[in-house]
Amino acid sequence: MNKLKSQALIGDIFIIVTSAIAVVFLFKTLWSNVPASQLLIRQADQIIGTYDLEQTRELHIHGPLGESHISIEQGKVRFKQSPCNHQYCVHQGWLNRVGQVAICLPNQISLQLIGEKKPYDSLNY
Amino acid sequence: MRPLFLFFSAWLLISCSAKEPLYNTQTYVFGTLVDISIYGETDERAQAVSNAIIQEYQHLHQRLHAWKPSELSAVNQAFTQGEAITVKADIAQMLSDVTRLSTQSNGTFNPAIGQLIKLWGFQNDTFTPHQVDAKAIDSLISKNPRMTDLVIKGNQIHSVNSAVQLDLGGYAKGYALDLGLAYLKQQHIQHALINIGGNIIALGQHGNQAWRVGIQHPRQPNAIATVALASGWAIGTSGDYQRYFYLDGKRYCHIIDPKTGYPVQGMQSVTVLIPPKKQAGVLSDVASKPIFIAPANERLAQAKAMDVPHFLIITSNTDIQVSEAMQQKLTWLDHKAEKIAKVVRFE
Repeated sequence: MNKLKSQALIGDIFIIVTSAIAVVFLFKTLWSNVPASQLLIRQADQIIGTYDLEQTRELHIHGPLGESHISIEQGKVRFKQSPCNHQYCVHQGWLNRVGQVAICLPNQISLQLIGEKKPYDSLNY
Repeated sequence: MRPLFLFFSAWLLISCSAKEPLYNTQTYVFGTLVDISIYGETDERAQAVSNAIIQEYQHLHQRLHAWKPSELSAVNQAFTQGEAITVKADIAQMLSDVTRLSTQSNGTFNPAIGQLIKLWGFQNDTFTPHQVDAKAIDSLISKNPRMTDLVIKGNQIHSVNSAVQLDLGGYAKGYALDLGLAYLKQQHIQHALINIGGNIIALGQHGNQAWRVGIQHPRQPNAIATVALASGWAIGTSGDYQRYFYLDGKRYCHIIDPKTGYPVQGMQSVTVLIPPKKQAGVLSDVASKPIFIAPANERLAQAKAMDVPHFLIITSNTDIQVSEAMQQKLTWLDHKAEKIAKVVRFE
């Protein structure tokens, strides 16, 4: 009887250990490789938010010059309208790849596409 | 049984909650974006160190402002009036440095042309496209303002040429990179990356890999290539796409040729990579300018004069030159550009 009990325990331990390894393995491979990129919006030194790119959404962000109009459209994003003088940010056009950045210096708003596989840490421009 | 269970529970907890110890902050100084990343410190410590650097940058920006009341504009005012002025020791040192670098580039890097920059309207947060009076440019060019017109004795400075007006826009960001790096080291920070308006300096690395930096395509919203920036290395780009205006279909960029008085035409970007050395930050800011400004047949000579073996020159979408040393460092992302790029032997 005693022998049977200890054998059952070894079986239990085996199952617990293999399940634990399986959970960690699955979590790491499946959870961290979620393909959808995200959009990080900052105004001055504040993070306004992180947004899913796979949606259609219009955002209005306030900066020192006024309101910048940002469009998210199923996997891509752009500055649609901006109160700045030169419209460099609007002329940047659509962003859709991880690592891409659009900055409106006068209105102090930055868009940054982020994802699990970051191609670089910072951008030289 | 119980210790084993506890062990696995703890392991599970650690595996699931492990967050990369990377702190990142952005803010706006020098009229551009400052981005600081610190790796391997607690968020609290990284934040304190970043805040100290940003405060120092704000202070430096106020002191060196070219068109608002500042220590630098007081110097400019003294020059206009033909008077001598006593400045703080670090500013005297900066101006000596700038003069040396300007001489090294045979006057092509010339921060004494503040009046020309103003004439073109770039000394303004909201500059507007406008035609510049050719006579005014000719008149300024004939006065030939140069850094060597400065006479620096200790902390006392005067200019033998009243047309000299200093604008350190092509130097201050690089100087700030070196300042930031020195502060990080003094605070015993091991791993960090500072980006000031695209000029970047690296310290340590990102985890078990070097910091990786993307180089912006001058005409597309993508990176054209990436480069691993090992500890102490710096990278800088001069481009015609950062500050410019269009007039009658022609692009006028903010980089002005001091010999002609007009914005440089027919250049998109020059990127330089500087190995760890004293003033690597300053060089990453300064050294790309003479290469950008020089006529095509003098670009390599300028790279040599500035002692920069790592450079990438983009003049158009069909003409890219990359030095051999730079090519070895680049990982191309844009394969069209990679095909076009001509590898240039340097020495």
